[in-house]
Amino acid sequence: MTITVELTYDMAKVLGTRSIPMEAPRTVAEVLREARGRFGDQGEAFDRMAGVAAIAVNGVLVAHRREGVRLADGDLITFVKTASGG
Amino acid sequence: MIKGFAGRVLEIDLEARTFAFRPLDEDIARLYLGGKGYGTRLLYDLTRPGIDPLGPENPLIFATGPLNGSLAPQSNRFAVVCKSPLTGGIGSSACGGSFAFGLKKAGIDVVVVQGRSGVPVRVEIDGDTDAVRFLDASDLWGLGTGATQKALGRGMHHAVIGPAGENRVLYAGIVSDARIAGRCGVGAVMGSKGLKALSAQGTRKLEMADEAGFKTYTQWVRQVFKGHPVLGEKLRRFGTMGIVNTTNGRNMIPTRNFQAGHHPGAMNLSGEYLEDHGLVGVRSSCLHCPVACGREVEVPGAGRVKGPEYETAGMMGTNLGITDLAEVNRWNWMADELGLDTISLGVTLGFAMELQQRGLLSTGLTFGSPEGVAEMIEAIAHRRGMGDELAEGTRRLSLKYGGKEFAMHVKGLELSAYDPRGSFAQGVEYATTNRGGCHVQGASMYFESTGPLTINPQNLKLKAELPVVQQNLACAVNSMVLCIFTTYGLIPRQVHALKPSGWVHRLARVLFENSGPAYRWIMSGKLLQVTWMDKWLSRVTGMRITSGHLQEIGARIFNLERMYNLREGLTGADDTLPDRILHEPLYKHMTSGHPLDRLLPQYYRLRGWDEHGVPLPETLRRLKVRL
Repeated sequence: MTITVELTYDMAKVLGTRSIPMEAPRTVAEVLREARGRFGDQGEAFDRMAGVAAIAVNGVLVAHRREGVRLADGDLITFVKTASGG
Repeated sequence: MIKGFAGRVLEIDLEARTFAFRPLDEDIARLYLGGKGYGTRLLYDLTRPGIDPLGPENPLIFATGPLNGSLAPQSNRFAVVCKSPLTGGIGSSACGGSFAFGLKKAGIDVVVVQGRSGVPVRVEIDGDTDAVRFLDASDLWGLGTGATQKALGRGMHHAVIGPAGENRVLYAGIVSDARIAGRCGVGAVMGSKGLKALSAQGTRKLEMADEAGFKTYTQWVRQVFKGHPVLGEKLRRFGTMGIVNTTNGRNMIPTRNFQAGHHPGAMNLSGEYLEDHGLVGVRSSCLHCPVACGREVEVPGAGRVKGPEYETAGMMGTNLGITDLAEVNRWNWMADELGLDTISLGVTLGFAMELQQRGLLSTGLTFGSPEGVAEMIEAIAHRRGMGDELAEGTRRLSLKYGGKEFAMHVKGLELSAYDPRGSFAQGVEYATTNRGGCHVQGASMYFESTGPLTINPQNLKLKAELPVVQQNLACAVNSMVLCIFTTYGLIPRQVHALKPSGWVHRLARVLFENSGPAYRWIMSGKLLQVTWMDKWLSRVTGMRITSGHLQEIGARIFNLERMYNLREGLTGADDTLPDRILHEPLYKHMTSGHPLDRLLPQYYRLRGWDEHGVPLPETLRRLKVRL
């Protein structure tokens, strides 16, 4: 099972990558744990920035229930910040 | 006369080369404010049904409102109202820049341009001497909007058209400084009159009911704006392109003519990316606006020019499958110079690419390739070759060559860069908004998809109420005339500070999502002044205005627009969305598209309309809509 995690612009800038492919996470909670682990020394920075971003699975915000959301092959996980525009 | 108004309407007849100053109708001003509201009332009263939008009998109405010229932040805007050549219904568009300021300083609230000049003409209004000069504009005809304004000089404030307006491209706009009244083809109407430029200046002072109170209050609001997470930080820092990453992450940025809602390269079109790579350090703003959401970019051959907005990044970027910022910058500059609405342009180009993809028409344009796009933009503005076909807009193109099911428009107006399958209330708004598929006639997506609360955008809760309240509010805002971004600031900064994963955020969201009738009741309250709009308007005009009054005024304008559309032959059947949006799922879990059929009857009931979308007589009576 392969899923893709896309970071916010700020996260990408600090952590040096825009997206992370993952092979076998089953829930969003596992994604968060694995992503944090991959960033090693920058784990704290990841936590800080991930904490103020919402999480969407295939575009649908999972927000408060994000830890328990189950994933399927091909899912796209995105960190999203609020914005306004015209 | 109510304070805040100059008290005068200028009527210009281009055919007879005559003009007359008339007193502003105070009753209309009380009921409809200025801007879009006053303009709509005039359009309804001045025209008979069925006129040719590009004929001399279609009046082109430039209207300011009571807040214009007041130095209230985000208030230097004007509305343009006419019958739209693109939709055949009500045409209205708003624009920043400085023309509204010039007009108000000239002591004029509204200009009504009638007739048609046989030769290119420009009109200068000198408010201090009350002189109106009709000048030959042959030497300006064919010039871009920037070059035209440069040639006209700095002494006056201008509203001009480019070649697209001259050639009656159905989505041509009117430009003031670097801003454009882009939607509904108002530039084509100006071009059809042979009017290249309208310029105004004066030194008259706006009279306010409570000048000292207004000044004190405005200073306070300025501070609030500066510290606000949207107005003072995000929009100020990233411009409107700051939203690209949000809509892309939410799977709702139009991609390949709305075939998808996510593009892996969209980050390259974001405000953040622009700040890091393309922004040359200068922010630009409409006159006296503290937000300064505009950005300058470097375009080879053009120098420093106004950068693209979010809509342009979406419609002329990902919607074409292209994420090359330099190309989008260049196309945006071209569109501005030629006087084209980048939303309608981008959708039409995307539609042409899909026609090519499906073998329905050889347009020479393909998704993901910038090849031929710049040439096509030029061809559209000058109506050359295939460009002449694309100049007619998406609806007409689909009627001629097929592809109606993926023609992304409502009532003929091309959709904006928010896919409503990820924002159900926004979909209701697209379907029902009188001028067609537009996002700034309410902006419900801010509450359900992009803003700080993000209530569940894909259930039916609040999805009929929200568009009603938001559309009413937008009608009032467009009639004061204020920038729609002021409404973003109505959500307090404390809400923005909530962590999306926290329980307070969750609670706020759940409460709001389930508020339904309570939300409408609170917004319609006429006892308390809640927003700065109410307070500004009251201090300027002397009328006691609350959010409930704004809702009522907005509903009145919205219903009059509706009656205009019905008079012109539009019906409830036009309150729909493109088949692609209604039937094709965009998200993995979706089995169909937008559930408009379930929301529309509820929306009609809340509006006080019958099942066919026709306002009930008692609704019109209650709102004092005279027919």
